[in-house]
Amino acid sequence: MRDILGLVAKRLGLGLVTLLVVSVLIFFAVELLPGDIAQAVLGQMATEETLARLREELGLGRPAIVRYFDWLAGAVTGDFGTSLIDGEPVTAKITDRFVSTLFLAAYAAVIAVPFAITLGIIVALLRNSIFDRVANVVTLTSISSPEFFLGYILILYLAVKWSMFPAIASISSGMTLLELLERTFLPALTLVLVVTAHMMRMTRAAIINLLASPYIEMARLKGAPPWKVIVKHALPNAWAPIINVVALNLAYLVTGVVLVEVVFVYPGIGQLLVDAVAKRDFPIVQACCLIFAATFILLNLAADVGAILTNPRLRHPK
Amino acid sequence: MSMFVIGYYAALIAASCIAAYFQNRQAFMLLFSLTLVSFVLGIVGGVPALQGVTIFAGILALAAGTSYAFREFLIQVSRPAIAKELRTAPLTAAFGMFVIFTYAIAGIFAPWIAPFGQSEVIASAFEPPNEDMLLGADQLGRDMFSRIVYGARNSVGLALLATILAFVIGALAGLYSAVKGGWLDQLSGRVADVIMSVPSLIFALLMLSIFGTYLWVIVVVVAIIYSPRVFRLTRAVAGNVVVMDYVEAAKLRGEGDWHLIRKEILPNSTAPLIAEFGLEFCFVFLLIAGLSFLGLGIQPPTADWGSMVRENATLISFGDITPLIPAAAIALLTVAVNFVVDWMLFRSSGLKEQ
Repeated sequence: MRDILGLVAKRLGLGLVTLLVVSVLIFFAVELLPGDIAQAVLGQMATEETLARLREELGLGRPAIVRYFDWLAGAVTGDFGTSLIDGEPVTAKITDRFVSTLFLAAYAAVIAVPFAITLGIIVALLRNSIFDRVANVVTLTSISSPEFFLGYILILYLAVKWSMFPAIASISSGMTLLELLERTFLPALTLVLVVTAHMMRMTRAAIINLLASPYIEMARLKGAPPWKVIVKHALPNAWAPIINVVALNLAYLVTGVVLVEVVFVYPGIGQLLVDAVAKRDFPIVQACCLIFAATFILLNLAADVGAILTNPRLRHPK
Repeated sequence: MSMFVIGYYAALIAASCIAAYFQNRQAFMLLFSLTLVSFVLGIVGGVPALQGVTIFAGILALAAGTSYAFREFLIQVSRPAIAKELRTAPLTAAFGMFVIFTYAIAGIFAPWIAPFGQSEVIASAFEPPNEDMLLGADQLGRDMFSRIVYGARNSVGLALLATILAFVIGALAGLYSAVKGGWLDQLSGRVADVIMSVPSLIFALLMLSIFGTYLWVIVVVVAIIYSPRVFRLTRAVAGNVVVMDYVEAAKLRGEGDWHLIRKEILPNSTAPLIAEFGLEFCFVFLLIAGLSFLGLGIQPPTADWGSMVRENATLISFGDITPLIPAAAIALLTVAVNFVVDWMLFRSSGLKEQ
């Protein structure tokens, strides 16, 4: 047991270091700007006077390293500074949108995860049959399509031609859960399509990989039916790779959500990020990037920890 | 019940019976389950749904026929050694090669194929298709078809450039790390870890917001984002080759690092690297398409598939599929490359699933 805790603690520490390095990267990338932030915001035509005033306001006089620690301390306590465009606090802009984005991602995940794992197991059971090949081509097509392609196809058929769901996912705070679920169905479905394909392929590969091991051969030779070989013998050892697959795909959802939000005009953090990039509003860009990166790193961390915890060899040391 | 429906079921059932008679179990299962699914589809969607299935099957058959013919053509024109390999290619891989070939032709000969220039305004905005314009006009009255053809040159060309750069950076770093080892190896490994721990789209957005959306910025940023993948693969493959006796012998002969990389290691690690190049191209292509869709990629008036989708998206709410064609072009090329890569990986790894 101590071995596992040690491994998990080590992995958590490594994740923390990664997060720190990424925060350094995000902060100092902006320092690479030709000129400085004030110049970039006000443009080439700005007078020295206004430049000086903005620099004063942003505290650019202090060394970058001091500003980094200020920024980091703020970020940890939930204060990301103020927007360069309208001077409002960044945190206020982000909070609601972040909740919306998490809602959308969770909605997609709740549908996609059980669906994909079941399908992956079925396809592994039917491997090399014609169904497997059809599933292979379909999932490959789904993975290869840009998210906006899938999104617009769904809008075209489900919203415009058959008018079953709204094309624009406009949500407000007064809605009931059912209304919310209906309004956000199409963006969630788009994400489900992309993620399911990935997850299904990876689940199939994980299980087929296991099926080559000698103990499965043994189970087969003693006459266990195929489904039992998979569910009883292969699956317990496949949990580690499958948990990995799920976490990796949830991490993938985090980035996929940006494009999907733009397609469906969904008021999430991805849309905010894209707008901020176009307007070069750096505090918002930095805050959004840090949040996305942190989510991504955390999910990858969860994948590794999950893999360690479900590994039978580590749980029952000799 | 219309003649079409009767004919539809008659054809399906006859085909199932023929498959069963010739003991082709898989074809029979596919055809017969299609028949069963059609019952449900016919009840829910009526005749149009069945017509949709027929059209879809027709397109599939056409694609399969084209791929078969293209594979035969390739076998005829190539040298015996390559022809032997090509014979083992599945139809999907042949289809992929055909699509890549078509895109290459469209990209290289774009000015001769496209009837109009890519930024030439020739009609009013959103004009419907007519004899001059195959697909109608876009939001500024430019010919949609010409812009799609030019898009093959611009979008694919940019992605190819970024992939090659990513490959040069990643492969060189990987090979040098494998040969040198020590602190260089450690350092590049950690740098790769950090880059890979930030989601690629987010990283690209951060960098583009800082340096602006210039073409060279996109190429360099995308190359840096995807080079760690190449680095890791090269490092792993080369790491296995470096410990071989013949590399040791070359080292003892006193050959330099560059010679080791070029003459000893690279020739023995090409197969996985070529497959990785295809995969890498897909990732890069999708990322750049996503960026241009967000308005942060290739800037107008240059024709580009991602931004064309965005600019003409309003047409979709009127039930028009034209804006989806550039998006479909992106998807088709990515699928095609994936098909070819699948075959190559299968061939090079000798991976035979049981």
